[in-house]
Amino acid sequence: MKAQLLHIFRNTPFGRETLLESSYFCKTLEIEIVVYIPRTAKFLMYFENDVVQVDLDRSYLTSPETAETHASEIIRSAGLEPQFFEPQDYTASTLPDIPTHFDYMCCPRSIVDLSSKIGLGYLGPRVRRIVNSARFPVYIPNAVFKVWKSVAVFFGGSVNGVKAVRLGQKISQLSGFPLRVFTQLEGNSREGYESVVKERQIEEAMENWTVFDSGPFQENLYEVPHDALVVLGAYGHGLIKQLAFGSKMELIQSVLSNSMVIVGPHCGT
Amino acid sequence: MFSKSKSPSLRFLLARGISRIDERLLLITIAIFVGACGGLAAVLLNRLLLDIQHILHPLRTYWYAFVLPACGAALSSLFLGHVVKEGPGHGVPEVIYSVSKRGGLLRLRSSFSRLVSSALTIASGGSAGPEAPVVMSGASIGSNIAKMFNLNDRQRVAMVGCGAASAISSIFNAPIAGIVFSVEVILGEWTPINLIPIAIASVIGTEVSRLMQGNQIPFAHHRFHTSLLDIVASVGIAILAGLSSVLFTRMLNKTAEASHRLVRHDWIRAALGGATVGFIGIGLPVVLGEGYDVVRTILENQYEYGLVLVALGALAKIVATSLTIGTGGSGGIFAPCLVIGSLGGLAYYRMLDFIWPSIPWAEEGFFAMLGMAGVMSGALQAPLTGIFLIVEVTGSYAVILPLILVSAISATLCHYLEPVSFYYERLVSRGELLRPRTDARLLADLSVSELIEKDAIVVQEDTRLGDMIPLIEQASRDSFPVEDSKTGDFLGLIRLDDLRPFLFNKNLYAAIIMGEIMDVHVPRVSPHDDTKAVLELMDHTRTESLPVVQGSKFLGMVSKLTILDRYRKELIVESCQEV
Repeated sequence: MKAQLLHIFRNTPFGRETLLESSYFCKTLEIEIVVYIPRTAKFLMYFENDVVQVDLDRSYLTSPETAETHASEIIRSAGLEPQFFEPQDYTASTLPDIPTHFDYMCCPRSIVDLSSKIGLGYLGPRVRRIVNSARFPVYIPNAVFKVWKSVAVFFGGSVNGVKAVRLGQKISQLSGFPLRVFTQLEGNSREGYESVVKERQIEEAMENWTVFDSGPFQENLYEVPHDALVVLGAYGHGLIKQLAFGSKMELIQSVLSNSMVIVGPHCGT
Repeated sequence: MFSKSKSPSLRFLLARGISRIDERLLLITIAIFVGACGGLAAVLLNRLLLDIQHILHPLRTYWYAFVLPACGAALSSLFLGHVVKEGPGHGVPEVIYSVSKRGGLLRLRSSFSRLVSSALTIASGGSAGPEAPVVMSGASIGSNIAKMFNLNDRQRVAMVGCGAASAISSIFNAPIAGIVFSVEVILGEWTPINLIPIAIASVIGTEVSRLMQGNQIPFAHHRFHTSLLDIVASVGIAILAGLSSVLFTRMLNKTAEASHRLVRHDWIRAALGGATVGFIGIGLPVVLGEGYDVVRTILENQYEYGLVLVALGALAKIVATSLTIGTGGSGGIFAPCLVIGSLGGLAYYRMLDFIWPSIPWAEEGFFAMLGMAGVMSGALQAPLTGIFLIVEVTGSYAVILPLILVSAISATLCHYLEPVSFYYERLVSRGELLRPRTDARLLADLSVSELIEKDAIVVQEDTRLGDMIPLIEQASRDSFPVEDSKTGDFLGLIRLDDLRPFLFNKNLYAAIIMGEIMDVHVPRVSPHDDTKAVLELMDHTRTESLPVVQGSKFLGMVSKLTILDRYRKELIVESCQEV
């Protein structure tokens, strides 16, 4: 069965950019794109152990009469066949359920707030909940369409880091683009990371491995190619832990403008 | 992401600890928390109602008091729609939907949203009860506590039942009614694994309420002296209650449909409904609020109005409740059922007394009580809930025989005239009411993607008949999917029956290509289709197997035989879980 990416379409110039990003992602990885054009400003996603209500901003409901045509044009321009999703189940009459069986889902950095907030440095709480609960990786595209020509994975030695490396390797193989892995030495020696790599049998993916052993992480991020698709794991910390200890995922997504694929704690890559 | 944890986390230890505890003990332990929280939610709603009613009380003497229900309903709708972003209504169908289809998953915000919205609606004079909203809160609390403990779907559903039971038990001070409502209306199944935690949660919820509000029975206990004649007369009240329930259910549904068609904005619709209720309340104040005072007065034989006004009051309460709930106000139908039933029962008594004044009928409170049980059992189509609730809230076990009779007749009559209760109407119309151990539920647990058989031999549309002969020899099934040789898109299906007329004519072997004789109109199913719908499609088209297609690509076949085989296995698993 061919993999599928779910894209929630916003019929605005910003929505066009994100659909172009999704289409490029799907074309490159040879996966199908399934588009949902919202008819209501909210929907529910039932995950294995959580239910997330996504409250869309009103721009998602802009010009519904032209939305399907616009989305079809964009998808066809990328050489893909558009598929549109119509909800079958409704929790309440104005609250459709969106299935969670997809292999990827595209979320802008925030799907709730106004476009003014959608930019670097802010990952919406709903997107965070989706990342934390989903069994699929979440694709967070750049605000403006830009092709990517390589894959950059951030590896910190954790289980999610290993999942991210495996996904990065898969994307690299499917796309034919080179893979680079980045690690910032923090609380562990290089040997420690190497033993994790060996133990988890991901040596093959680590051929091009850059380890930052000095300097602040934010500055080291400059090494990441501007045209790379960034793949990283997310622990899925709760709000309190996040406020107390911060989050590398937040840091990376607020510094890098690249498109990203985030592997959440329940992701089954 | 960049740190590697060396020691097991607290969550991991908790999860490991939980997995080692005996399931029943675990559920009972968690049920205690759920029961306490559900009970607290009910007490909170009671307090909120009393406080808001206290604040608004001085305003009720003014001429403009009729706008109070409008303001309350509008605020309630705005709160639900714009602050917590939930749909209007009391939420019980959402709870049942979640139990039926979503493993009991409910949003955290539902644990408080309906408390606030129903307090605004009811305290301002809207005709509705606080019980259904508190069921939503309790159920959501149960679901989210289950989520915290990483329970599986079946266990989470039991916790939803615990939350609902504790909420009802707490708000009515009626533990048995809480248990019965939870299993009869919310879960739809009686199994020991569910029943014990629900009973514990119900007891805890009731105790919380008693600790915080005192051990008060909502309607003071009365001893009724009844004769055989009264029991015979109770058949009449059962029929009257059944018909009232049907009228009530239909009016609720019709008002909701009509108001949604006429007014687009939720809050304006709710405000208009509230204002109309306010107007009715000027002439018939009996329709305002949850109406417990009216019930209390009737049960104490102190309601002074005559037959016509009492009957008018019952009808007005039906209209007012339909307007309040149907237009989007937040509240449930428990309390209105009690008011309608008690007024109906009283009217029936007055009528009996008018026709046969010499017969020493039981007191009017007795007939009011029967009316309450009848309307409750009919409208909810849950006779046990009706019986136990009335017995507990009135403390009248002595009259349980006529109560059973009335509840049974009323529920049966209602089911005959209006097969689906108010709570299930939307779910049944969408095929979303999946009760445990029913065909629909078992089939819903099977996914088409798991049933795909990949042994079909795929042919191209330009394959010649002659080339099919060896394929037929080696094929294990009698149908061959046809794909486009260039794009690989699925085009149609060739069945052996389509080939049979040409098979014995060798002259045609090179002349006929599959593209010419394939069935292009063969129904296709998607891997995400509902298995029940697929089975129905097979029955409708009289086929044993259908192609599964995603986008335009053929994935495999799904056959009736495989579906029924998996159904049988699923049935065995379900039966084992029962033990």
